[in-house]
Amino acid sequence: MYPIILLSFLGIVVLFLGFAKSKAILLPATLLFLAVALVGNFVEWNQGTIIYFYNMLAVNNLTLAFNGIVLVSAFMIVAMTRGFQDDDEAQPAEYYAIMLFSLVGAFMMIGFENLIMLFLGLEILSVAMYVLTGSDKRNLRSNEAALKYFLMGAFATGILLFGIALLYGATGSFTLTGIQAYIGQGNPSYLLYGGLLLVLIGMLFKVSAAPFHFWTPDVYEGAPTIFTAFMATIVKTAGFAALFRLLSHSFTGIYDYWWITLAVITVLTLLVGNIIAVYQDSFKRMLAYSSISHAGYLLIALTAMTPQTENSILFYSMAYSVATICAFGVLIPLAREKAMTGKPRETYEAFNGLARNNPLLAFVLTVSMLSLAGIPLTAGFWGKFFVFGSAAERGIIWLLVVAILMSAVGIYYYFRVIMAAYMKEGDTAEIRVAPFYKIVLVTATIITLLFGIAPGLFTGLV
Amino acid sequence: MLTDFGIILLFIIAGFALLGVVLGVGRLLRPDNPNPEKNSTYESGEDPVGNANVQFNVRFYVVALIFVLFEVELVFLFPWAVVFGREDLIAQTEGRWGWFALAEMTVFVGILALGLAYAWAKGYLDWVKPKPHVSQFDSPVPSELYEQLNERYAGKAGKGMEEKSNQLP
Repeated sequence: MYPIILLSFLGIVVLFLGFAKSKAILLPATLLFLAVALVGNFVEWNQGTIIYFYNMLAVNNLTLAFNGIVLVSAFMIVAMTRGFQDDDEAQPAEYYAIMLFSLVGAFMMIGFENLIMLFLGLEILSVAMYVLTGSDKRNLRSNEAALKYFLMGAFATGILLFGIALLYGATGSFTLTGIQAYIGQGNPSYLLYGGLLLVLIGMLFKVSAAPFHFWTPDVYEGAPTIFTAFMATIVKTAGFAALFRLLSHSFTGIYDYWWITLAVITVLTLLVGNIIAVYQDSFKRMLAYSSISHAGYLLIALTAMTPQTENSILFYSMAYSVATICAFGVLIPLAREKAMTGKPRETYEAFNGLARNNPLLAFVLTVSMLSLAGIPLTAGFWGKFFVFGSAAERGIIWLLVVAILMSAVGIYYYFRVIMAAYMKEGDTAEIRVAPFYKIVLVTATIITLLFGIAPGLFTGLV
Repeated sequence: MLTDFGIILLFIIAGFALLGVVLGVGRLLRPDNPNPEKNSTYESGEDPVGNANVQFNVRFYVVALIFVLFEVELVFLFPWAVVFGREDLIAQTEGRWGWFALAEMTVFVGILALGLAYAWAKGYLDWVKPKPHVSQFDSPVPSELYEQLNERYAGKAGKGMEEKSNQLP
């Protein structure tokens, strides 16, 4: 609860810091504020479940851990935004303020107790994302992406609201406990099923599960890369935290109804994400489809809904966020160096000869790709392990078979990047990276390897 | 005794009466010399009738956004005012209730006022932007060359334009 209030206030402070003559203060100030919010977040650690604002928000160790993942991801991404200072057209104060505000929305989604809060959080997060997607005003691709994201997102929000209205109509309550109590009485009305379906559609759109994924590649490709990283990590983590909270707290009573729907969507998401990713030439588009496929893996854990689900979603979100930040973090300096010749080169060819040019970046890229592919000794492996484990425990073997086949497909397109970096000759000039940037990337890589070798360090926390 | 709908009826009648009074007073006091510009629907100069597919001045949106913000704020003030004045709550808390409610609303209005201050400082409230941003561009090509080029192709380009405009329905 503290980070919500802190970041709402500090976001306004960042906005007004933008009036200062020098823009140099903005980045350290934003990082400081994020650190303050991170400390404020863990003040309530290990105090059990606390309910705030008359049943609007709940705080417990799980929501705090999700908040922590979101905050640390945001910290790393903000730390990589040095490029704003060189750009005359950029509005760094506004970007940072919008990022901080969007985190407030993410926290609301993670800890909502009332469906109104879920809607509010989702909107705060989404509206911020629409703006950040279109923040490169001179870039036609960015404009198109923002408009596309906005129009489709507005529709999804409408569907979500319609679902919430139906749920209220059926249960007479907006709260998670109220809905759970209603289902506990037995013989729920048909309105409830319809409402749940519409709410699921609205939420699955936000986490880009197939068949609601069509916006993802275009928006990820069009948005400035730094905001793509923000979108790929924070929206996905918050979205899955919210989905898990919704399904586990309210709808376990009608599990037999929704699990098969979710299982079909999971299979579709896995197939679409992985198979289309194989055919991409652009690294950014490949990462977009890869994010769809990772939504599929996370959905497996939701479909299984065992007691282990919360831990597996938490671990997977962490592993996925850190690896994705690394992948985009390597792409940003590469695309900038090559942008001199015209358009930013975001194809696989941009990585040719990276190992000889900048061995550190190549190593970071390799570890992140291995983690995304789920190779042992990286955090991504344990993420997949826990997710598959929960499906096995529930006994949904056919889903497991599809998922394992699809992760084998995933290895192909992730390794293409590593091959380009190590085995092909590049012709690029030397790529220089700021020391601070290096620290962020190396830290993220260490996190990936550390939790890959000793996952108990993380799972023991919650 | 009036029923609840009776009160609503009274409210409607009072509304019309007040409107009549205000317009009537205005009619008596104002100078009366109409012209077509004044009689148009929007005094801002937008044409009320015509193709909807025209370019609006983007500043209308900014002003409208800021207006909507404060209109919604006013809507929130109404239910707050009802709770603010609850005598039983004030009595229960020995008067602290009023200060608490006032402080809460001050925070809310304060945040919105900060938003207005931001828009003001950025210059979005000025209808005419004082400093248009002109990007300086030092072309290595002398400007006479461009003029020569324009003169040389002026005739051809003109023809092209005419042909194009003829094709239009």
